[in-house]
Amino acid sequence: MRLTGRTVLITGAARGLGRATALACAAEGADLALLDLCGDLDGVPYPLGTRGQLEHTASLCRKNGAAVLTAACDVRDLASVEAAVALAEERFGGIDAAVNNAGIAAPSGRPVHEIGEDEWALMIDVDLSGAWRVIRTVAGAMSARRSGSIVNVSSTAGLVGYRHFAGYVAAKHGLIGLTKAAALDYAPTKVRVNAVCPGSVRDDPTAEGRMLAEIARALEVQVGEHEQTFTEAQPMNALIEPEDVAAAVVYLVSDDARQVTGSVLTVDGGFTAR
Amino acid sequence: MVGEQCHALRLRLDGAVTDAELTARLAAAGPWRLWVEQVASGSDEPEALRRRDAELKRPTRAVRCVLLRHRDGVADLVVVADRSLLDRDGLDRLAGALVTGADPGLVGQGPAAVRRVAAPPAGPAPEWGGGARGATGWDTSCLDLPAVADPSALLAALALTLHRYEGHGAGGEVTVATDRRGALAHAVPADATLAELRAAVPAPADRPVTVGLIEPATGESGAVAGTEYLPCLAPPFPLTLTVLPGAAGGNRLWAAYRRSHLAPGTVDGFLRHLAHVLVRFGESPAMPADDVELLDAAERERVAALGRPGAAPAGTPERLTDVFARVAAARPDAPAVGNGHTALTYGELDRLADRLARGLVARGVAPGDRVGICLERTTELVAAVLGVLKAGAAYVPTDPAYPADRLAHTARDAGLELVITRHGEYPAEAGVPVTPDELLDGAGPLDALPGPQGPDDPAYVIYTSGSTGRPKGVVVPHRNVVALVDATRDEYGLGPADVWTFFHSGAFDFSVWEIWGCLLTGGRLVVVPYLVSREPGEFRDLLERERVTVLSQTPSSFSQLLETDHASLAVRLVVFGGEPLDARMLLRWFDLHPEAACRTVNMFGITETTVHVTAQTLTRELALAGSKSVGPALHGWHLYVTDTRGRLVPPGVTGEIRVGGAGVALGYLGRPDLTAARFTADPYAGGRQYRSGDLGRLRPDGALEHLGRIDSQVKIRGFRIELDEIRSVLLEDPDVRAAAVVVRRDDPSDPATARLDAYVVPADRDTAAVRKRAAAVLPAYMLPATVTALDSLPLTANGKLDAARLPEPARGASAPVAHPAGGGETAAVLQEVWSTVLGTPVGLDDDFFELGGNSLLAVRISAALRGRGLSPVPLRDLFRTPTIRELAEAGDA
Repeated sequence: MRLTGRTVLITGAARGLGRATALACAAEGADLALLDLCGDLDGVPYPLGTRGQLEHTASLCRKNGAAVLTAACDVRDLASVEAAVALAEERFGGIDAAVNNAGIAAPSGRPVHEIGEDEWALMIDVDLSGAWRVIRTVAGAMSARRSGSIVNVSSTAGLVGYRHFAGYVAAKHGLIGLTKAAALDYAPTKVRVNAVCPGSVRDDPTAEGRMLAEIARALEVQVGEHEQTFTEAQPMNALIEPEDVAAAVVYLVSDDARQVTGSVLTVDGGFTAR
Repeated sequence: MVGEQCHALRLRLDGAVTDAELTARLAAAGPWRLWVEQVASGSDEPEALRRRDAELKRPTRAVRCVLLRHRDGVADLVVVADRSLLDRDGLDRLAGALVTGADPGLVGQGPAAVRRVAAPPAGPAPEWGGGARGATGWDTSCLDLPAVADPSALLAALALTLHRYEGHGAGGEVTVATDRRGALAHAVPADATLAELRAAVPAPADRPVTVGLIEPATGESGAVAGTEYLPCLAPPFPLTLTVLPGAAGGNRLWAAYRRSHLAPGTVDGFLRHLAHVLVRFGESPAMPADDVELLDAAERERVAALGRPGAAPAGTPERLTDVFARVAAARPDAPAVGNGHTALTYGELDRLADRLARGLVARGVAPGDRVGICLERTTELVAAVLGVLKAGAAYVPTDPAYPADRLAHTARDAGLELVITRHGEYPAEAGVPVTPDELLDGAGPLDALPGPQGPDDPAYVIYTSGSTGRPKGVVVPHRNVVALVDATRDEYGLGPADVWTFFHSGAFDFSVWEIWGCLLTGGRLVVVPYLVSREPGEFRDLLERERVTVLSQTPSSFSQLLETDHASLAVRLVVFGGEPLDARMLLRWFDLHPEAACRTVNMFGITETTVHVTAQTLTRELALAGSKSVGPALHGWHLYVTDTRGRLVPPGVTGEIRVGGAGVALGYLGRPDLTAARFTADPYAGGRQYRSGDLGRLRPDGALEHLGRIDSQVKIRGFRIELDEIRSVLLEDPDVRAAAVVVRRDDPSDPATARLDAYVVPADRDTAAVRKRAAAVLPAYMLPATVTALDSLPLTANGKLDAARLPEPARGASAPVAHPAGGGETAAVLQEVWSTVLGTPVGLDDDFFELGGNSLLAVRISAALRGRGLSPVPLRDLFRTPTIRELAEAGDA
């Protein structure tokens, strides 16, 4: 139990990597503040996580012994983030770790010159600025306590380019930049900031993730075909499971990583090794 | 929102109070929300306990109420509050109101209800704490108080208890703290009564704190039955104490402590002793504080037993000569002693010693006499020692290298009439010299030897140099040496297969161990000639040639041996003695001789207790940790650590080492007063004990940590400082070959001017670099004010530091007093004030601390500045900007 007595805040916790991460943290003894937009966004061509999915994540975690707080939170809105964090602090007395997991994969699938102003802004606002808003809100109290861990869920798209995903790639690259800069800002006060970069993660039915499917759709290919392509592209010849990413997050949150900050941990089956 | 500032309670709800009812009751009491958690387990399952514990330890800015509803229908209410917002009574009233629906009255009278005091910085782990270095987290402990204990005296009792724990030579003041008053300097005058101590008003202090109180509730507690109360969610002080209501109307001492600072057993002991002191405050207010005992009779027995880990092996006491006779008779042809050219078997040695004894008897030596021996380290010396003992006399060894004056003093003091020597210029007034040849020539008949003598007769008198006065003769009986060999024979497997060195001067009692450790166990003793003992390469050759297995060394000699190629030695046991061992030096030995191949043992000892007292087997692990442990007492030896009044101190607390048991000498020859002062009755095991004048700590595992001589400890501005410790840090600098540290006062009548002056060898050392390196290790109060590099340290005739001959320290070169251009008006005033207070001309770029500045002098500077209408300089600014130029620039900016 590496996280006993810790409170972990996770954005985008309704499903997918967020849900897997919440469950892994609960299994390590953490208490959880689970946030999600719990609604759809104009401009995102697929349904986002729901309140019901978020409560399902919470109930799975409670079964694991965690005290759980759920809240609807829009990472595009600083006031919304501040309210959710304040509620979590009131309930738990402080936040020990924040996992910036909320993100969108689309609108995508077009070359740069075809991306609209609003589409570009939305992608940056959620996938990059959203993480900045959470860090901005939690890092002060963490610094004051001289303890804290922030994990940003980036992507292999934060390390290499993908055709027709310029907004996503730019945001995820930006998130790694934010990670490194914030790591330096808070290193003197012992608050750590790291990034994980998952490769292609399988859409696990119980996690209700749909990232892979939505990327395939944006590229206008069949999901099966897309899975096949990426399985072959990852040298270990397998898709990544949500639990693999969650385990990396738990490591970065835990004291096992107490000297790890500003690092970028790939969980990509070797995809970026070549 | 920190756990240190919060407290919490939990109570079990019976009856079917609904969430809505509770929410309404809480809303009536204050602007607080009720959190409800469904717990997926029964209320008594481990999972539920974990959840309750987690809720009880979550801090809050204000008040938090959490209702834990369990699967079995039982509910627990946890209320957490900031103590400054809601005190114990308020918390109880709120809980009561939630349970009964009664009007809680005024709870949480706003943020100003109690003035919040920031917790002072935590002090370092106390020496007596036994905490686990690097451990995280904290634990709690508690103890029911006897009905007669008076909780209102808690702060005074804590001050007195802590004063005792701070140990030997603690000053009249300790630093304590409370959650409401912050750090406090609490005077503990030696002559105060308990009533006076209790009435004393401690002064606010700006110091780190190790032990503090959460002030107990004073009001009538309205606690709801069955509540669990946590006075803090994390200890605000490394050791945090409070008094809580206990069962059946009594009281309970409660402690929370950091694992890095204290061990559970230490905390339990501290609580016991604090309770004991509290009882005295209630029962005997007129008792002088100094008379209060921390330990009750049963605990004294336990602590005394801790220092006696084993009894001496059973058997009747014997004389050295009787044991030797048995060994010689069993293996007469086995080699006993030699030095390459001459070698004697046990039978030959026995016969030679007999003839020497007969020669002595023929010259009138009778049982009880003392015979001097002043011979080079030779086979002959060993035979002479044995011969004197066979004649029924005690031997008084001196070293032929001693100055004539010292030889004469020893002979006079010991009343020597006969001295066995080949010294051509043996001083005429120092007894009648006789050579071994003359003794052999004049040997009388076999039956001239005296009949049986007792084991309590003196075997030898060895002279030791005290720190003051002339050397004094320590009289050690036969049975002590036999007991020493009995205590070590089995543990170290000493036997006929062993080859020992006789390395040390016969006048140094380490040689008693070498000679008798070998000859009483049937080993072969290899005499190391003086010149070989001073030449590490030749000594290494001898060890290799003779296949020596048991090597006894002082750490200084051994470090020279380590410089040689020592790979092919056959040594299986190294015994260190004679001076403190820095275990880190053994790493190079372990590299070539791992523990499994060669055992290394550090023995702490005193001439007055027969060579050794304790034994610590060293390991690479201990060497890496720089262990100070000298181990537990040898079987038959007793260790006590006492305060200045001779009372046992708790394990871990620093005090004077006293030694009782099988090794205690008969006393000082011809010095009944000194003997009576140093050798006193052993109240725990009978017999006598010796006051060593050494400082130590008896650890809870029975091992002793030796901390140096009492007289090398000094106190500067309230801090107890061990000069040897500073010296040891200076010596860690690879370029420093020798070092000394002394305390001086610029103004002998003014303690505030006390400073530490350090001296290092060689003369070309960069002293600023030495000081900088030391500053990284030593706390500021232990950092020498000056470091002076010398070619060599002045030594006394006995080879000890001659502090009186150390030169005045070299101070940092000061700039001319006239302030250079650009200094400005502020700088000029600062310069004048600093120069006056520090008593030395100060330049603009001189470092305040380099010039001997300290916190007291900083206060004086601030006062002087205020007197000139300038703003004072806080000490922390001085740490950041310790020069006048920087200060003036910061002030002008």
